Amino acid sequence: MRKFIVMFLLVFLGIFLYFNLSYLPAEKMISNNVSQHYINSGVKETGSFNLVTAILFDYRAFDSLGESTIIFAAVSGIVLILSRKTLPVSSHGLTFIVKRTLGLLTPFIFLFSIYLMTHGHLSPGGGFQGGVILATISIIFCIVYGSEFDQKKFSPQTKTKLETGGALLFILMGILGVIFENGFLDNLNLFNGEPGSLISAGNIPVINLGIGLKVGAGLAIIFYSMIQKTFGEETDH
Amino acid sequence: MIYNIVFVILFILGLYTVLVKKSMIKMVIGLNIMESAIFFWVISLSNTGNLIPILQTYMEEKAVNDPVPQALILTGIVIGASTTAFLLTLIIELKKLGGSINLDHIKGLSE
Amino acid sequence: MISSNIFLLILIPLTTAFLIPLLDLLHIKYRKILVGIAGILEFTVSFSIIFTNFEFLKKGTLFLTYNLGGWSPPFGINLVLDSLGLFFSTLVSVALLLITVYSIGFIGHHEGKYYVLLFLAFAAMQGVILTGDIFNLYVFIELLTLTSAPLVAFKRNRNSTEASIKYMFYGIIGGLCFFIGVILIYFSLGTLNMAEISSHFTELNTRMQLIIITFFLLSMLIKLGIFPFHFWLPKAHSACPSSISTLLSGLLLKIYIYIFIRIFWIVLDYNVIQEIGLADFIVYLSLTSCLLGHIFALQADDIKRMLAFSTIGHISMIVAALALNTEAGFYGGLLHVISHFLMKSALFTGTGYLLQYTPSHNIKDLKGVGYKNKNIFISFVTASLGMIGIPPVIGFISKWYILLAFLEVNNHIGATIVILGSLTAVVYYFRFITAGYERTEVGTSKKERHVLSVFYREKIVTMIVYIFTFMAVITGVSFKLFDLPLKAVIDVITNPAYYINYVLGG
Repeated sequence: MRKFIVMFLLVFLGIFLYFNLSYLPAEKMISNNVSQHYINSGVKETGSFNLVTAILFDYRAFDSLGESTIIFAAVSGIVLILSRKTLPVSSHGLTFIVKRTLGLLTPFIFLFSIYLMTHGHLSPGGGFQGGVILATISIIFCIVYGSEFDQKKFSPQTKTKLETGGALLFILMGILGVIFENGFLDNLNLFNGEPGSLISAGNIPVINLGIGLKVGAGLAIIFYSMIQKTFGEETDH
Repeated sequence: MIYNIVFVILFILGLYTVLVKKSMIKMVIGLNIMESAIFFWVISLSNTGNLIPILQTYMEEKAVNDPVPQALILTGIVIGASTTAFLLTLIIELKKLGGSINLDHIKGLSE
Repeated sequence: MISSNIFLLILIPLTTAFLIPLLDLLHIKYRKILVGIAGILEFTVSFSIIFTNFEFLKKGTLFLTYNLGGWSPPFGINLVLDSLGLFFSTLVSVALLLITVYSIGFIGHHEGKYYVLLFLAFAAMQGVILTGDIFNLYVFIELLTLTSAPLVAFKRNRNSTEASIKYMFYGIIGGLCFFIGVILIYFSLGTLNMAEISSHFTELNTRMQLIIITFFLLSMLIKLGIFPFHFWLPKAHSACPSSISTLLSGLLLKIYIYIFIRIFWIVLDYNVIQEIGLADFIVYLSLTSCLLGHIFALQADDIKRMLAFSTIGHISMIVAALALNTEAGFYGGLLHVISHFLMKSALFTGTGYLLQYTPSHNIKDLKGVGYKNKNIFISFVTASLGMIGIPPVIGFISKWYILLAFLEVNNHIGATIVILGSLTAVVYYFRFITAGYERTEVGTSKKERHVLSVFYREKIVTMIVYIFTFMAVITGVSFKLFDLPLKAVIDVITNPAYYINYVLGG
């Protein structure tokens, strides 16, 4: 009964919403608006071809600081809730074929993630995307080789160090902006190459690297905490 | 216009799932559907049929799509993923503590 | 005026939160030292900003901006500190110091990531207050939700986890409505900077204005805990440890009141809201919520649930007073922000101390708890007298001004509900106070909560309770002190043109 009332009301809400959305104007009201400025002079001012990266890490870098802090807070919350003193590990992996294949593939995945992180200003990509792929390496180790292998290779302390290192790198770039230029997160003249080459675009590559480390280590910590919790009840395997 | 219809349908489906379904995991899936509907709508609005906003391959003045909503969506996706991860953690913990993740068994005002 | 200090208000808690996990790898005891230093540092930065700009504050023209990344306003993000922001920012800095010291005594230093999340929450609050860009505001609101939810689930039992799940669901849906509002603003106006939005908002189609206002209103109602969307509040505020209840009930809801003022008066245009009649709707909805909050508190047997329902009542009263859009309404509402913060914090911190003697939160187990520590219970009684509205505690002054504001616009229903709220408050507070003074044999509690058994921790906790009660009484006696800051804040709220001129024109 409740289902039908809710369905009825929601159909009405949907028609109402659709009808109102058609009032959205076709053109933006302010003529020389923000995105025109970014398209016209984005490359000159920041040195990065990828305009989305230029907006994310140079014009609105403070938003990216807030966003990476959100990942940091989510990781801290998950560790707070799921952590136990003794961490039982399981060395159960998958079969031999899978282990062999992924042993060959993993270096290429790592290379791909580094490529995405460092070429953020030249092609679609950036810190967040590269970081997520970096986290899949730790996830592959956990699933394919067993979590004991993963704990030996990257212990939780290492992952925490990487994560806080990435975060502090971002803030360090901001503070260097205060010391050398004139404001927090100002674009330093670090890498002053031609726009279009790899070494260019000021401090965008460094921020990309910091965020990539932070996101990668953070997601790896989340996965590790979640599976430890699940394996806790099975006594031995 | 077709994009608006798709957005409204997906959004209403997600909202229906959150309001009606009894299992908490289905509610989380419904939340994700709502968020994905919003992201889809924003991209469709910013797509004016021009080229992608990465200017490397064309140095002359050509019309480019709007890059700002894409940056906003990146932030939104990250936020959505973090909140989903934390919600699922809470559901795991509740199940582990012996509670029930089915709203029929929780007394009082559900959702 | 460009100031180079205001980003420190956000940077200090943020860096502290990032440094704590590294310091943990050395030795856990260093955490306490770092956290204490950070609290004192933030407090000094906040007060140095007040002292260096004191003449401007007296004239009422305080306005500091800071351009992040070196890009000027519509193309980059800027931080803005005007009188309204300074009012709430000082509140956050004071609360940071006091709540951190209370947590050192109450929780100690054994508890994992508590301080990381606490400092991230404070950084997010300062970020919300200082930012001048509406998408940045959305990011910091989501950060606030994500850092307060694990703190609600801190005790890791069934009740807390269920409370946290409910809190997160409501929080995420509120955030989604806010996000849709931001996207609608971007696609109809083309900018994300608050000053630019404010100067062009009235040029939009009226229908579009109404849609944007509706989405923001929905988001604010969910986050503030006003009647149809308040179901997350009682459980969330009662299932967490008392220091977090102080944070949520005392401070977090005030930050959402700041967002409410900032969006509806300065970014969007409140005159539009009043012409449509939505202002009356907000007033009556908040008054209903206030009445229901006080009535539900009558039937609460759990002391923290009672305090949480009382919070719903008072916050709805503040929203109703602000939505009247008169100068008296602003004065009463903003004064009640300060007074509710002080009194509710005194109540929750005192409750945290008293609950160590009882096996559960129920009123049956609270009998005789007033004799365990007479001074703390006297502070509890004083703060609850203030909540009811008895002089000389500041609660009387602020309720009086709100009553005057309702009578000024001949809103007799509002005045009646304020008085009814006070009368019901008498009943439900005295239930607990008389239970505290009953001379029954309190059996030795078999609970192993020897949280405060260490001598210095008990000293810290009791000191904080006394500080909050003392401030509540002192500000009640000398409330004329607040006349100058409040007039400056009301000046900022009623003249959004100043904001636009300072950010864009200068």
